[in-house]
Amino acid sequence: MVGAAEEARLNRLESQVDNGGGGAWEYLCLVQKLGARRSEKVLKHGLSILNDPRARSRLGVEEWTLYEQVAIAALDCQQIDVAKECIAALSMKFPGSIRVGKLEGMLLEAKEAWADAEKAYARLLEDSPLDQVILKRKVAMAKAQGNPAAAVEYLNKYLEIFMADHDAWRELAEIYVNLQMYKQAAYCYEELILCQPIVPLYHLAYADVLYTMGGLENIQTAKKYYASTVNLTGGKNTRALYGLCLCGVVIGQLTKGRNKDEKAESPDMSSLAAKALLKDYKERSPEKLSLVTTMMKNMKLIS
Amino acid sequence: MAECGYVISQGAYIKLVLHALKHRSSPVNGLLVGRLLDGGIAGASPTVQISDAVPLSHSQIGILTYLELALIQVEEHFGADGLAVVGYYHANERHDDSELGGAARKIGDHIFRYFPQAALLLLDNKRLEGLAKGKGCDPVLELFTRDSSRSWRRASSEGSSQLSIKEPSANTVLLDYISTEKWNQVADFDDHLDDISKDWLNPNLFN
Repeated sequence: MVGAAEEARLNRLESQVDNGGGGAWEYLCLVQKLGARRSEKVLKHGLSILNDPRARSRLGVEEWTLYEQVAIAALDCQQIDVAKECIAALSMKFPGSIRVGKLEGMLLEAKEAWADAEKAYARLLEDSPLDQVILKRKVAMAKAQGNPAAAVEYLNKYLEIFMADHDAWRELAEIYVNLQMYKQAAYCYEELILCQPIVPLYHLAYADVLYTMGGLENIQTAKKYYASTVNLTGGKNTRALYGLCLCGVVIGQLTKGRNKDEKAESPDMSSLAAKALLKDYKERSPEKLSLVTTMMKNMKLIS
Repeated sequence: MAECGYVISQGAYIKLVLHALKHRSSPVNGLLVGRLLDGGIAGASPTVQISDAVPLSHSQIGILTYLELALIQVEEHFGADGLAVVGYYHANERHDDSELGGAARKIGDHIFRYFPQAALLLLDNKRLEGLAKGKGCDPVLELFTRDSSRSWRRASSEGSSQLSIKEPSANTVLLDYISTEKWNQVADFDDHLDDISKDWLNPNLFN
């Protein structure tokens, strides 16, 4: 996942390179660093460097990471022949490398030769049974074959060993959400929040799952986590502010007729969120202001 | 449930296909907006006229918060013109997945409660791929409707619940937009929540 500022920088670089302004290598490095998936551009610009002998030699040792990056981009764009060439070059330079072995496995995956890919990975795992990259390829293959149950099983086994891998927890949570297994997704986000309590993304995702699960207790907890997201993001996160508004409304509906003292605190946070949203819309999205104002009035969050 | 015809406008059709093309490695979904037209005299079957599509999401499709938010805002905006949410579209993550998934069915059920003739449109990846080769006028979508047994069924090719595109040259226009990578200009509700200056109504998309 890429943050807004990083995405903007990436887009600027991308259009600079696209329009002949140079900076291809800088762009490729940034894509690699952010883990962004921009395979068509990577293929185009990566190949232009690799096919130019002078540019290639200027890279020195980095030439090989570029081959790897272009190979993966080529597989993503179904340019199997290009990928084969890159992998062949890497294989000659690094014979017997498990990193190149993974690329060969991915080549088989791209050709949908699932059984062969499984065998290739099994062979590599014999020598390095705890290779994280290969273990993750097994999860990816299960996903690609439309077998989320197997993906979940492999990921859970992986996390028993590598329980500090935050990306893996997030991936598992997202698969659970796709399967509508919200309780299990919630558990993943709880693990993430325990490990990294000040990352707002996890608070927000947790709140989203709780809201989706529904029921008074879950929504009250969701409200707390939307609130903590607002806190951690300095009130700038639109989703969290909207989340607070919706929680306020639902809690109001579910607790109608209950003890008025209990409810006294609830409307305030949601009304504050509503006001913050309207202020933001006024500045950055004025065409939508009247629509959102009407919505807030209908939800009785503003008068 | 009486059989019903479904007509989708070129704008709605192209917008939803472009939305799917913008996010090729994830599922996408969106709402369909329109109205029900009576069969009129002589007992002709009614028609659901789909006049617009609102792209919703390209991530975390099972999450309720933003779906509810979008429904509120879409109904508020289009209600003023006498239009309602008449259906839902979905494109699966994987190329060879042609099943209507659980999340899509649940959302469809929700829309059905307010609009019984609701249409669920699933992007047909194979037909989309074949678009560049053939010159067909058929939409690259599969229509699902709720039958009396309360489940979503593919509209059969013999039944009268058919989906057609209002403008017969829609696929030609779509191919033209695809060649210019027009999908980059489509903004969905997700994009709006990331940056509220992006408009999920896409008012200038076809200018």
